[in-house]
Amino acid sequence: MRNGGDNRGRLLLISLIVTSLFLITLDLRGVSVINGLRNGSQSALSPFQSAAATVFRPVGNFFTDITRLGRTRGEIERLKAENEKLRNSLINRKNADSELEQLKSVLDLAGTAKYKVVNSKVISLGSASSFTQTISIDAGTNQGVRQNMTVISGLGLVGVVKISYPNHALVQLTTDPAFRVGARVAGSQQIGILSGQGTNKAVLQLLDNQTTLKVGDVILARGSQNNRPFVPGVPIGEVTSVDNAAGSVTQTADVKLYANFSTLSVVAVVVGAPESDPRDALVPKAPLPTPVPTVTIYATPSESRTP
Amino acid sequence: MFARRFLISFPIFVTMFVVQEAIVSQFKIFGGGFSLFLVFALLWAALSSPELGALTGFGAGLLMDLSQTTSSPMGQWTLIMILAGFSISYLGYGDDNFRGNPISLVIIVALAVPITRFVYLVIGLMLGGELGSVLQVLISLLTSTLWTVAIVPLLMPIVTRIHAALFEEASRG
Repeated sequence: MRNGGDNRGRLLLISLIVTSLFLITLDLRGVSVINGLRNGSQSALSPFQSAAATVFRPVGNFFTDITRLGRTRGEIERLKAENEKLRNSLINRKNADSELEQLKSVLDLAGTAKYKVVNSKVISLGSASSFTQTISIDAGTNQGVRQNMTVISGLGLVGVVKISYPNHALVQLTTDPAFRVGARVAGSQQIGILSGQGTNKAVLQLLDNQTTLKVGDVILARGSQNNRPFVPGVPIGEVTSVDNAAGSVTQTADVKLYANFSTLSVVAVVVGAPESDPRDALVPKAPLPTPVPTVTIYATPSESRTP
Repeated sequence: MFARRFLISFPIFVTMFVVQEAIVSQFKIFGGGFSLFLVFALLWAALSSPELGALTGFGAGLLMDLSQTTSSPMGQWTLIMILAGFSISYLGYGDDNFRGNPISLVIIVALAVPITRFVYLVIGLMLGGELGSVLQVLISLLTSTLWTVAIVPLLMPIVTRIHAALFEEASRG
């Protein structure tokens, strides 16, 4: 070896080769750090690629088009655009159907209880990094929405208006860990306080230590003074488990919330409460058992020949 | 000293890598096109000492392994580029007639590109990769050679100037 062949050079070369072999081994063994490196580099590169695609897309096919003289490119682009348009209209149609269904159910619920409501669309979800659970809706003070008004969906309580702006409002969801609502059990009328837990389950703490809960009990909003922030009778959820610890002063229970917070798109803000408490009128009906058709077969024995 | 030189040239390689990934990859070029970054790295290594060539190959290979178009295991390009960088710099090291002749640089880089890609293919097969159509592979290797012959003369004045500015300055300092 010439000048480069001294021991230092050999050592460096061997070290680099060993490092690369080490990397290959790590990758083949599925070490997540390696995947993280690739993902990180791709994330870092994607803004550059997006910018370059915007700038160079018009000339990106230049070299290919020289040979094809643009015969097929225009056709492909036209078909792609048409395909994209059809796909968008299909997505919009599905979205509209879903929103229509949610709007229908929320109006059914509000109509049954005679709530006066303002319908609105969910326009954004709150930041998860702030550890709060909120949504923004496209109705505000101009539509009659004020702070501390009840927000419902077709399935039940969604939350309460925390801040109202002219054309939108911020809603604190029932799942927010800071959310509290006075609740009562449908039927037995036991009262308690329901607290959000950050998931689609909340915890109900009864106020009276003489009463008991059972799985399947329906929990409704108890209502507040002057119906703010909560109107009475809104379904909240259903008891899924009861804590019967001997040492506890009052009974607590886990409540599965009715509202589906992951698919919220249309909600209603209750701007006017009914004159009378709807009591248990909004308790969801238990599903009817599906009738099983029965078939009855009559068999008549044939006459036997008697000798 | 090597670490310092390596670090000085690293931002240039990153820039070239971004140019390759963001801009060159936007163009659909006949025969699968070319890798500007690979050509640049090999040309840079050809102008360096063997130790620096190996280090250059290591850095360039790492970046190539991070490319989103690379489906091979991380480290495969690194390994090949270390060997390629060391070999190409070793061939002309100490021979100023060789390095000072643009034609010999074009030839050596134009040969190094398909050889490097071929070795990559072979090691990929050894690691369980797929070969695909042999004819397509041959066409790709041939066209990359031709593209390299076309690109190196354009790239050489820039690379030699930057390389000289960085390393001659560093050696004087």
